[in-house]
Amino acid sequence: MTKFNLLATLIFAGLALGLISMGAGVTRRIQSGVMAALSPFIRSSAATERQLSQLGEPQPDLPSLKRRIVELEMELDRHRILSQKYVQVLGENNQLREMVNFRRMSPLKLTAARVLKRVSSTWWSSMIIDKGALDGLATDTPVLNAQGLIGKTGKMAPHMAEVILLTDEMCRVSARIEGTLEKGILAGERAGVDIKPDLRLSFLSRSAIIPPGSPVLTTGEGGIFPPGVMIGRVKRFEIKDVSAEAVIEPAVDFSQLDHVFVLEQTLEAPGTPQTATSPQPPTPPAPKALPVDLSEIQTQPKPPTNGEGPAR
Amino acid sequence: MIFLLATILLQLLAFVLQEYSPGFAMAHYASIMLPILFFFVASVAVPYPMMLVLAFITGLLWDARHLPTPPQIIGPSAENLSSGVIALPELAATGHLPLGASILIFAALGAMLQGVRPQFNRGRIELPVLMIGLATALWLAAEYLLHALIRGSIPVPYGVLTKWVTNTLLAMLCAPALLLIVHAMAAFFHYEIRNDGLRQPPP
Repeated sequence: MTKFNLLATLIFAGLALGLISMGAGVTRRIQSGVMAALSPFIRSSAATERQLSQLGEPQPDLPSLKRRIVELEMELDRHRILSQKYVQVLGENNQLREMVNFRRMSPLKLTAARVLKRVSSTWWSSMIIDKGALDGLATDTPVLNAQGLIGKTGKMAPHMAEVILLTDEMCRVSARIEGTLEKGILAGERAGVDIKPDLRLSFLSRSAIIPPGSPVLTTGEGGIFPPGVMIGRVKRFEIKDVSAEAVIEPAVDFSQLDHVFVLEQTLEAPGTPQTATSPQPPTPPAPKALPVDLSEIQTQPKPPTNGEGPAR
Repeated sequence: MIFLLATILLQLLAFVLQEYSPGFAMAHYASIMLPILFFFVASVAVPYPMMLVLAFITGLLWDARHLPTPPQIIGPSAENLSSGVIALPELAATGHLPLGASILIFAALGAMLQGVRPQFNRGRIELPVLMIGLATALWLAAEYLLHALIRGSIPVPYGVLTKWVTNTLLAMLCAPALLLIVHAMAAFFHYEIRNDGLRQPPP
């Protein structure tokens, strides 16, 4: 090996090892910088893909579009009324919580975002949305829709963010099985290659009795995701050597995602009673996202029915 | 010199074009990984130090664009222990590939591809195409195995195999066109593709 090649190898090895040993903060800044630099091309490629996919689709006629607008306006009005009711109930709830010196419930703030594209990466499962750091989003923020949990935010650009899907092993969620005392850690599969893969809820008790079809919800104790968000339903229960695992069918169809909601992290309202002697509810230490109860707005999981109507 | 600068620019352009490369849903979103492919193609044409420069650029940009963000625990470790943050599974550090891990893999595979420079210089692309396919397969396998090593388990679902094979075949399918472009570019800039190897030059 020539001296020049040897010198080049040494410099290369030094730079590469220096880069590898960098901390998470620097790594995140580099990743955000690269994503911000590429964001015009990502947006442009998403627009091109959308236009190409719409080429073969039949164009809707004007009367049907007008009908659709009327329907959506009625739906919007209905949701406005529900939203007002929600704010009113939340206010009453906070008043009651203050009376017993409990922590106030944070107001729920959802940011709607459009899915730009699914990322064709090597071994990771992610997608890109059209809202980013300048729209108020932050890394490790829950992403959901009406069906349930979708994932969490990852890399940030000014007006773009990457969402690590629930189907990826990197996205771990503290989850519980409704109707039981069982809690565990839910994660996707390695590489997350399937469009609708099964999720695995680990560290369950081997003696647990878990019927198939039981809903699985977030516990809110994991540090990122709020409690009460629907994740999926139990498909089967597998007993392993030390603990047991439940195979979960996700509630969300990850191949049909057009719009999602990012749950913005809101700080606790000022003036919260926090005295040394005040009794605190058993809330987990949450340094980044305070738990908010989504059960008011989430589609409540329905128990499996056998075709009979509700009991009267 | 102009050829080498043009190679770097084309490498950067490959990252831009990659955003327009669609994933094949039926093959678990396998796609033509243009930056990786161009790096392997360039490795059979450029000298060793230049290959290292390209490996650094490609590895850094690929990892920055495609690796998931590493988990970041707020505050020093002792504070995490006392505050209980470490017990929060959604925030706790999970095994992940560090940014820049691909650089070393690219350098090793690029060095391997330097061996087919004499063939490429003569305008033959059969062996380079095969070697590029092999390098792509090895890179994908190395990245997956490194990930598995960090996590402590090696599950190999059917989808992983499908994606691995499809990515490799797509790379081999597109390699001839890129090899011919680089060969034509070398002729245009009067750049001589030499095989210095790693030997000491004769005194």
